Amino acid sequence: MDQSFAIQDTLEKGDTCLVAVQGILVSPYTNESRLVGLVKNRETLAIFLYKHRRMAICADDVSLDEIIPLAEGVIIQQVMPAEGFYVIGTDVTLRIKSLDIDIVMQLPFGSHTQEFLRRVNQPIQEGLPAFPSQQFVWLRKYWQRNIPSVNSLFLNNMNYEEERQLSGLDINLVSDLEADKMAMNGQWIKANERVDPSRSPQMSVRHNKTTFTDLVRSADVLSANKAEMVPFTKFGLRDNLIKSELLKNEDTYISIQNYRFFVGTYNVNGQSPRESLQTWLSQDSEPPDLYCIGFQELDLSKEAFFFNDTPKEEEWFKAVSDGLHPEAKYAKIKLIRLVGIMLLLYVKKELAVHVSEVEAETVGTGIMGRMGNKGGVAIRFRFHNTHLCIVNSHLAAHVDEFERRNQDFREICSRMQFAQADPTLSPLTIHKHDVVLWLGDLNYRLKDIELEKVKKLIDSRDYKTLHKFDQLKQQIDGKAVFEGFTEGEIMFQPTYKYDPGTDEWDTSEKCRTPAWCDRVLWKGKHITQLEYRSHMALKTSDHKPVSSLFDIGVKVVNEELYKKTFEEIVRCLDKMENDCIPSAALSQREFHFKDVKYRQLQVQTFTIHNDGQVACQFEFIRKLDEESYSKPWLRANPSKGFLTPGSSMQIELEVFVNNQTAAALNAAEEKIEDILILHLDRGKDFFLSVTGNYLHSCFGSSIQMLCYMNGYMRDTSEETITQLAQMPLQMKDNFLGAEKPAKIPKELWMMVDHLYRNASQQEDLFQQPGLMSEFEAIRDCLDSGYPESLPGSNHSVVEALLLFLEALPEPVICYQSYQKCLESIGDYSSSKEVVSMLPLHHKNVFKYLISFLQEMLNNSEKNHLDIKILASIFGNLLLRPPPDLPKPSNSDKRRCQEFVQQFLQPEDP
Amino acid sequence: MAKQYDVLFRLLLIGDSGVGKTCLLCRFTDNEFHPSHISTIGVDFKMKTIEVDGIKVRIQIWDTAGQERYQTITKQYYRRAQGIFLVYDITSERSYQHIMKWASDVDEYAPDGVQKILIGNKADEEQKRQVGKNQGMKLAEEYGMDFFETSACTNYNIKESFTRLTELVLMAHKRELEGLRMSSADELNLAELEDDGSKSDGMANSSKSCWC
Repeated sequence: MDQSFAIQDTLEKGDTCLVAVQGILVSPYTNESRLVGLVKNRETLAIFLYKHRRMAICADDVSLDEIIPLAEGVIIQQVMPAEGFYVIGTDVTLRIKSLDIDIVMQLPFGSHTQEFLRRVNQPIQEGLPAFPSQQFVWLRKYWQRNIPSVNSLFLNNMNYEEERQLSGLDINLVSDLEADKMAMNGQWIKANERVDPSRSPQMSVRHNKTTFTDLVRSADVLSANKAEMVPFTKFGLRDNLIKSELLKNEDTYISIQNYRFFVGTYNVNGQSPRESLQTWLSQDSEPPDLYCIGFQELDLSKEAFFFNDTPKEEEWFKAVSDGLHPEAKYAKIKLIRLVGIMLLLYVKKELAVHVSEVEAETVGTGIMGRMGNKGGVAIRFRFHNTHLCIVNSHLAAHVDEFERRNQDFREICSRMQFAQADPTLSPLTIHKHDVVLWLGDLNYRLKDIELEKVKKLIDSRDYKTLHKFDQLKQQIDGKAVFEGFTEGEIMFQPTYKYDPGTDEWDTSEKCRTPAWCDRVLWKGKHITQLEYRSHMALKTSDHKPVSSLFDIGVKVVNEELYKKTFEEIVRCLDKMENDCIPSAALSQREFHFKDVKYRQLQVQTFTIHNDGQVACQFEFIRKLDEESYSKPWLRANPSKGFLTPGSSMQIELEVFVNNQTAAALNAAEEKIEDILILHLDRGKDFFLSVTGNYLHSCFGSSIQMLCYMNGYMRDTSEETITQLAQMPLQMKDNFLGAEKPAKIPKELWMMVDHLYRNASQQEDLFQQPGLMSEFEAIRDCLDSGYPESLPGSNHSVVEALLLFLEALPEPVICYQSYQKCLESIGDYSSSKEVVSMLPLHHKNVFKYLISFLQEMLNNSEKNHLDIKILASIFGNLLLRPPPDLPKPSNSDKRRCQEFVQQFLQPEDP
Repeated sequence: MAKQYDVLFRLLLIGDSGVGKTCLLCRFTDNEFHPSHISTIGVDFKMKTIEVDGIKVRIQIWDTAGQERYQTITKQYYRRAQGIFLVYDITSERSYQHIMKWASDVDEYAPDGVQKILIGNKADEEQKRQVGKNQGMKLAEEYGMDFFETSACTNYNIKESFTRLTELVLMAHKRELEGLRMSSADELNLAELEDDGSKSDGMANSSKSCWC
């Protein structure tokens, strides 16, 4: 039934329950029933989960448990069973994930569920509204009323939103920055955003305003334009396999192509740009392909330090953009800044499409080890198929603090982490990149050398000697810092410290010793440094800018080769998958059962061998429109089983024709013919064909057919049998020409006459069971006429007689007379009347059997038979309820016996 | 941004015994060809991944017994297919004549909207040809099907025909695919694999729908 009425009952005016489904909330501990409603208010939707106490009819039956607004970030996906397939008609399992909820629901298969999924899916397709936002304020009343504690988190947000509204601000303008602020306050954390709680709030704000006019195109265009990117697709385990295989085989489809990188670093001492940067950035004749430009001490003001806000960012960004090589057009890929440390990445316009997976992060190592006056910023990206990371750092100052600088380096390395597109993967660190370019004011000084000697060595351009006193060189040689990194030979004079506006060494009170503070180092393969230099022409700062020009060999994908490799991998995976399909071999597929006889078991065995690589489960399954996997006379043993790889099992096919199945086979309506389907779970189906011939038998044949049959069953042709089987029950005597039918079946006569002659004085007759082997001989004798007299003991003949009567497709007292017989009990004459109405041959058989039994009773002194015993045996053989009636009750059975008993009583004198 | 996704289809090979259904499958999935004929007694399947229009499609291809005595049973597999290859042998007029019967079985037992394609296999045996290419084309046109002459032996038109049927199925399920593109489900499973043939009744109509 539709339970949405109950939900509607709980809703405020204006909110509508579109559809309701009763499902199961799956948790590791318990599974609880929930009523799931999809509730709509204007354009927004939310999923309401209700606890309920029964089939919900009104509001009293339900209590609101959870609300999930259908807002940006909500993911609803169907959970596949482990095998990766689902069976239609079974429950639909959904995983619903939102900002703070992650639940699994099982919904029943059916129209309500379908409707629910359709309704939910539609807005997801059309794009969901952001949350929190004004559009979802309507949910607040429910949260407050029903689940105040659970969702206080959301509630705060709603308050926040409402206040904004009251203060007249345009809610629609809530920007990413606002979202970041919320994250800072701990109110709301974006589902996919990783927040390092150890970071100081101010420092964690990622400043990624895109208000700048990009030179060519905005960075956003890049990530979306992935047409040319290698399509690493997300696709579960299989996809990860492909991915790792592709990585392993990278050499087969990539070639190394050189691209020119310009890497510059400049400590600007808090100044604004006053001179063109061209002498730094565009000194070379050829325009570089990429620019990585780092600044330190962009802004030394308190405002910048405390609020991370500075006008200098835009000033220097513009100065750099204006100073780029005039012979090429560049696109800004990314700008990242932490207080005064800023890093800019530009790429030639036409190469921008090859840049993807751009991420930027900052790490503060300044005051308290956290603040942004010192530290590093980094941009990681993928260029063609090479992953690069550019780091700009400003390490601790002062001559003696080299240990502190080493520590800053290590801090930056360990705390700089980039989120990956796939949130299930752990974040990337700096060292996990193919190429790392590290630039910045590393602040290492010249040590244990007097100022005069330094200046003298500089004047004589003996940088080699001077370099020996460089702390960075010493620290690297001692493996204390920048392990794995390389620095080119320094052929320029120290870049620090000058009197601003001049090329003169520091003349201030402190009179600092010159030092190579500003450096560029690299790590990775295929990197050639072409230039490493300082730029003396720039006089704005007390530092001189440094630049390094690199040719970096980048892994470029050959699309054709890539495709080939990719296809090869997919082919291998397909092969693996096909190899893992359960497989088995059968020793035999066709089975012929020769000369199947009534009540004689025939067995054939075959072997099923698991020749696959995985365990397999097999089962005989039923065919369309059939009730059982086989015909009723056929059985497989076992009919299902489990095989480990390499193991085998024997399966027996048993054919056994019993009373129920004999009639149709005797009448030639049915043949020994069947096809079995042996199904391997998650694998193929085998067809097993079963054939055979049935030896027709009097057992299970009708009285009438046997009376009309000339000769023995086994000698009679199929056509004759078919003809005889189609005879109507009540018929004229002249059927089949002149042939006179027998009065009773000769097979019956043979048995009864045998007993009459040999067994009337037999003790315990009708009480002792016969032997199966003897019965088979008797059956063969009756059906073939050989040997001439019945073999076996009297008890076995009795057994055959009883089986014969039991197997009659139409009992001696015909089905249609059954009810009348029961009704006539107590009135012997009317019982006789019923018998007289039976078809001729049935009447004959009845009378013949009764007189035989009476004869037996005459010898009761010897054979110890009495009326009661015989009536109890024959009552339920001669009278059987029609097959469409229920099985007879004990009282019905007793009445059948009473009926027969009437005829066995001595006639009234 | 469009989500990455994966589609699973079930395709079925039917046609007279000996027309080369198993060979077509082996050639397509394993790029192997075994000229000796071993009757498929049952139904078997293999998986193959192909890319169509940038969509990664995994197809499960079912190979069925062609022998007449099994036809009543193989029919019960039709309703689980999204695409069906009707295969005849160009060197056997009889197998071509029987396409009519196979097609009417498909109409009766396969789900509505199932995509069909006609295949005349053994195109390499030109000297034994009994069915002209135009006859095949004519029949295909009559049934509104695409037509390919193929040779599993020489690997002629194999990939093309499998890709074409996959395309047709993709097109027929465009709406579901679009839905998927926008939703966050990872996989569109058009070939919901029933674990045995016993779960049948009344599913034929819903068998081609995904959850959306």
